[in-house]
Amino acid sequence: MNVAEELFLVSLLLCVAGAVASVLLPGQWTGRVLAVFGSPATAAMLTAASLVLFGHRSIELHLWRFPVLGMLRLHVDGVSALFLLALGISFLPAFLFSDGYMLRYQSHHDPRAFGMFFHLLFAVCSLVLAAGDVISFLLLWRVMSALASFPIALEHKLNENRRASYLFLAMNEAGIITATVGILWMVALAGGHIGFRLLHASLGQISPTEHWVLFLILFFGFSVKAGLVPLSSWLPRAHPVAPANMSAVLSGCLLNFGVYGIIRFDAIIMPPISAGPGLVVLVVGAASALIGILYATIDNDLKKMLAHSSTENLGIIIANVGMGMVFTTCKLPVLAAIAYVVAMYHMINHSTYKTLLFLGAGAVDQQTGTRDLNQLGGLLKRMPMLAALFLLGCLAIAALPPLNGFVSEWLTLQTILRSEAFTSHLNRVIFALCGAGLALTAALAVTCFVKAFAMSFLGPARSEKSARAVEPVNSTRISMGLLVALCIFLGIGPTWVIPELDQAMEPLTHGLATDALVPPFFSHPHGDKQFTSGFMKGFDKIGAGAGEKAIPARGLVVLHQGGRSNPVVYAMSTFYMFGVLALIIFLTWLVVRVGTRKRISTVSEPWAGGLRHLAPDMTYSATGFSNPVRVIFRSIFGPAVREDSDTEVAGHFRTAITRQRDDGYIVDRLFLRPLTTAVNYAAKLLAMIHKPGVVNAYAAWVFLMLLVLLVVNRLL
Amino acid sequence: MFGWFLRGAASRIRTTTYPHQSDSSPGTTPGRPVATAFADGQEAQRAADMCPVRAIRAVDSTAEVDLSRCVHCLSCVRGTAAMKWKNDYNWAVSGCGGTTTTGRAFRKSLSIRLIDTGSCDAVIQEVKQLAKPYYNMHKLGFFITPTPRQADVLMVTGPVTSHMRLALKKTYDAMPDPKWVIAVGNCAISGCVFAPSFMSGGAVSNIIPVDVQVPGCPPPPLAILHGLLVLTGREQEIDEARATTGVEEKK
Amino acid sequence: MNQRTHPTDDNIMISMLKELGDIVSNILESESGRLLAAACRADTLSSAVAWLVDRRKYRFATLVVQALPSGDLLDYWFYKPDAGPWVKLSVRLSGQARTVPSISEHVHAVDWHERQAEDLFGMTFTGHPKLGDFVLHEEWREGVNPMRPEFDAVKPMVEKEVDPRWHPEKILRTPGAFLMPIGPVYSDCAESAQFFLETVGEDVVRMIPRFFFKYRGVEKLAEHRSILDVLLMVERFSGTSAVAHATAFCRAVETIGLVAVPPRGEALRLIGAELERIRHHFSLLSDICHSTGMVVPSADIDVMEEESLRLSAQWSGHRYLYGLVSPGGVARDFSTSELALLSNGITGLAHAARRLYERLQFTSSFLDRFEGVGVVPMLNARRLGLVGPIARASSFKTDLRIHAPYGFYRHCPLAVEALESEGDGYARIRVLFAEVFASADIIKRALANLPDGPVMLPEQAVPAGEALGYVEAPKGAAFHYVRIGENGGVERLQLTTPSFTNWHGFHLAAENFAFQDFPIMMASFGLSIAESDR
Repeated sequence: MNVAEELFLVSLLLCVAGAVASVLLPGQWTGRVLAVFGSPATAAMLTAASLVLFGHRSIELHLWRFPVLGMLRLHVDGVSALFLLALGISFLPAFLFSDGYMLRYQSHHDPRAFGMFFHLLFAVCSLVLAAGDVISFLLLWRVMSALASFPIALEHKLNENRRASYLFLAMNEAGIITATVGILWMVALAGGHIGFRLLHASLGQISPTEHWVLFLILFFGFSVKAGLVPLSSWLPRAHPVAPANMSAVLSGCLLNFGVYGIIRFDAIIMPPISAGPGLVVLVVGAASALIGILYATIDNDLKKMLAHSSTENLGIIIANVGMGMVFTTCKLPVLAAIAYVVAMYHMINHSTYKTLLFLGAGAVDQQTGTRDLNQLGGLLKRMPMLAALFLLGCLAIAALPPLNGFVSEWLTLQTILRSEAFTSHLNRVIFALCGAGLALTAALAVTCFVKAFAMSFLGPARSEKSARAVEPVNSTRISMGLLVALCIFLGIGPTWVIPELDQAMEPLTHGLATDALVPPFFSHPHGDKQFTSGFMKGFDKIGAGAGEKAIPARGLVVLHQGGRSNPVVYAMSTFYMFGVLALIIFLTWLVVRVGTRKRISTVSEPWAGGLRHLAPDMTYSATGFSNPVRVIFRSIFGPAVREDSDTEVAGHFRTAITRQRDDGYIVDRLFLRPLTTAVNYAAKLLAMIHKPGVVNAYAAWVFLMLLVLLVVNRLL
Repeated sequence: MFGWFLRGAASRIRTTTYPHQSDSSPGTTPGRPVATAFADGQEAQRAADMCPVRAIRAVDSTAEVDLSRCVHCLSCVRGTAAMKWKNDYNWAVSGCGGTTTTGRAFRKSLSIRLIDTGSCDAVIQEVKQLAKPYYNMHKLGFFITPTPRQADVLMVTGPVTSHMRLALKKTYDAMPDPKWVIAVGNCAISGCVFAPSFMSGGAVSNIIPVDVQVPGCPPPPLAILHGLLVLTGREQEIDEARATTGVEEKK
Repeated sequence: MNQRTHPTDDNIMISMLKELGDIVSNILESESGRLLAAACRADTLSSAVAWLVDRRKYRFATLVVQALPSGDLLDYWFYKPDAGPWVKLSVRLSGQARTVPSISEHVHAVDWHERQAEDLFGMTFTGHPKLGDFVLHEEWREGVNPMRPEFDAVKPMVEKEVDPRWHPEKILRTPGAFLMPIGPVYSDCAESAQFFLETVGEDVVRMIPRFFFKYRGVEKLAEHRSILDVLLMVERFSGTSAVAHATAFCRAVETIGLVAVPPRGEALRLIGAELERIRHHFSLLSDICHSTGMVVPSADIDVMEEESLRLSAQWSGHRYLYGLVSPGGVARDFSTSELALLSNGITGLAHAARRLYERLQFTSSFLDRFEGVGVVPMLNARRLGLVGPIARASSFKTDLRIHAPYGFYRHCPLAVEALESEGDGYARIRVLFAEVFASADIIKRALANLPDGPVMLPEQAVPAGEALGYVEAPKGAAFHYVRIGENGGVERLQLTTPSFTNWHGFHLAAENFAFQDFPIMMASFGLSIAESDR
């Protein structure tokens, strides 16, 4: 047993210990228990995953022998380790955050069960990722889904929370059943092998029809988990009602399991044999991204908008996976590698900043008691530290350089532009359309998070609650600070990150992206030998050689084809941007400091046209800020529930105007509601034909069913 | 659109030559009564009695004019003891007798914020004329700014109604230092026909310090321009010799 | 006033009013028309008004409240275009009674009149849903009513301590709705008023105006002053319509004195009023072009405006024609050369305006901003009794020069009333241009038919009495109620200005619009706040 395996087991044991401790110790200790047991457990897991990724250790654990199917085992390969890393990135701050956060529940709810489930959830999540065969994978997956639904319903006395929890459970159940059917069929096709590696090896040639059906079944099953359109109805309902630490891991890493499933089964075990599945994945991803960000932009509940934004980010990840699949089938391994690397990069980025933002939203909720952006405002003055951390998270998720969101979104858009490498026009058109959608998404993301930050932290306090807020406790700030540091590192250090991701994804892509994205001449003294001098000259022409000697690895990300004739180079360096930005900020500060030494500054109230009193409701509200988006995209948001009423006295004295506008979720409208209507209708039909209480009728139905089955069996 | 461009390009320049040359185009100013010597004190008193706003005062045999009260009603030139009338407009004065000027830094770039504290719309129209083709104060470096935050000069019109007092104070406070105030029109200087009253404090200088006063009811655009030149210390640019149009007798 | 009305019609009205609620009425004849003065009780007021407005198609002119020693007197003045006598319904309250039923639910035009009477006189209008701070803002002490005789007009007002969290009333109930405050000091050279836009973002649901920031109390100050003193104020409270208001005031005084202005004086008044109208419409059109960023046409009209100002100054001695109109005629006569100068000037201006109008009509980027913006439907214009070019742009006939001709308009009638039917911004622009051309035309006709003779009656004492003087000011119908006391001084002055009437209807146009259309709507209404606030 090597160090990695030992750490893995230690982590699991710590989780179990934490779960037991949570139950035994009184409720006000739960937060502390989560921090004390959970954090080391996560740290151990992170170390184990890092050892697998960077230290080239492996984790191979045999669990037990299953009567018919053989040995069940745990196996952590590069892909699993990457997801474990994302898991840890999300869980570690969430555990730390719990220390201060769980205090808010102790008076109304008993948080002990939450503590137990939260610990167990982490353990089971790790095990799902480590599962090396389909049976343990499916079993653990089931347990994970069930476990996750309990912490969501911590505040189970609220009707809304219970409903959200049920919806989460029901939709995930549908996904699991579908995935189980698909996986078992796959096992059947592969001749009964259940280990992932054997399954892949023995799946052999399957017919295109079978491949398509299998792909669709599995993609459907895992899309539910990833919260992709049109299966995302549960996501904006379940995520906001959970406690903030739970929301953070729900969005930050549990959604990743959908991606994991899709990559594991649709890309690794059953590699695509035509471009079709990849295009489906790409289109679903792009659609999710666009719809997610549109709803995030107009939503005024801080956590709900973050949940919608998760749909967006998962959409971007999945779009990259889709691109990777298409590139693979079109025999473009380098581009496929780039796409997969970008997908993984974005996934880790999303885990980082989404966890950060959810924790921030939780802290805001805890300190003010509201998540309604129309009620918040002016928190910058009340909690400057939290504001700074939240702002960095917003900048990262809005993909502004030099933070991490920019790297992966920039690479996503650049990769999609590489569609010129295709010969098929269909591919090009679909790539172009999805590219346009993703570009619009990126633009809207800026609007969305300008709104999120501005409406909660800037301007006047719009309610008593936000006027009384105070800075949160240290554990909150430390956990968020860790994530901000990670955001900055991931932002300015793609040169270090990309080769590692590339290594991990190598079994999947059969090509290396490192050479294309981070050419070795940045990291090695003589790394430019393999490139032609013409290429290097063109490269130097765009100024990429500057500072070559001074800075060894400069965070330069290049997308190039390396050929002599066409050294197409898109280059950007977040590291340089960071440096220049820091310099500009420093110089500005210096100028302001030196230049204004003698000036007298006066502070006066905001100029409001000589108005007697500028009340908070005379400044832009969150609804007002996002209303242009609502107006422009009304065909997507509509037909909204809309009630306009004017109360009038004698014709022209109006005493009240009500404008109630409820923007329906397009997924509910186009998918879930027709489905429930159909199911209800079918149930009514069934109820009509089976007369309640008539035993003879029941017997007749049972007999009829038996007959049908016999006939079917006979015919087959 | 292109047609409009051509139309604009083809129009001739109408902007006044003031202050570099005096502008004696007819109709630019209502003019003002000037101190007039009469045969005896009785006649001077008769002239003073003609004035409905008591802007004329008899001192011995001379009738003197307090321009800050004159409303250009022309009563004094229509009576038997007619006052002399001068068709000029260089009549702005530094407030409170002092010589408050903005100093060199603002000579060629001055941002002005207008606040209406109860004036009639005619004064506003005359101020607006300054930014229009005939007077085009921009060429002298004077600009109207939308917010007091960017303003160097507050131009106040009207007798400061009590409902506008708070807004006036707030506007003045919102301006960065250094700041100056021009009271435009007799309403702003003395309250004119609307003061003293229950709604009006009577003069802007009762609320905030005033640096330059531009009398008139309403003051013609050239007089307001003169006020701005006085404030920026650019009076010497005015060609005094040619600026004086003769004192004339009016019906 | 109008020869077509049969006297028996008057008798029918008198007997109908008698039947309605024992209302005693009689016809008063005067030089400026016939007046049916009816005295009714508070409880019969509503039915009488309903009958007048609904059955007899009368229009509300003004509400004059007076605090007399014997008790408060409320006069509701009505008129009927083209026919019938003017009607004055008087409600006399006894002693300390201050309560009258509100009629504004039936006649919306009375709404603001009642609100201002509530503030200024302390009247209570039962059934009015929206009484409260109107003329006097929140800093006024409650229970102090400046128009009451015991109130000292000269003593400075003592402000009340106001709750620092003062907030205007808000009626839009929807999550995320907010008020966009504009003013009282806002960008550009603009008069002081406040507008709160109730909005949820892009589209503004409703606009709440707040006026009377510029309330100078002209009506209170006029009390116990000489006619000439008051004339100075009447000319100067809204300088852009000085001739119109001075004429309305002088006409009221002349009606009291039962004197007739010499024809030449009447003609010169007409010329002055129409010159003022031309200049006034130019300034509105300039603002309209400016609001859409049309720099060249805006500058073109600015040039015309300044030229008409200079023409006015050359002709009368004052750029805004102050001091032209005086009781009994006009202050001075004009020589042939002066009249020729005017005639030439007007011809040039009308020609330039016509050329500009032809160009503007074919500038689509300009028209796009006005068509369908700020629409006032004809029915709404009638309901709120709008006046002037705004009403005429909604095909609501209100021009008093045609429908109740006065002064020289009786001899030199206006050719045609400028009417448009759309009621939007573009219709208002067309009406403004048409009126400029009509004014130029009528000035030339008046100059051609200028009677000879004196321009002014010799000065004479004015007896005690009351009268309503009216004119069609550039912005619409203006009514000046004047009561002269025994000593020849003004006892009561009531200014009902077109801006006051039309601001009341502004909210009709400013509903469910986009932010960026607000300046355009303001410009296309072109109302004055000085005129409304008094």
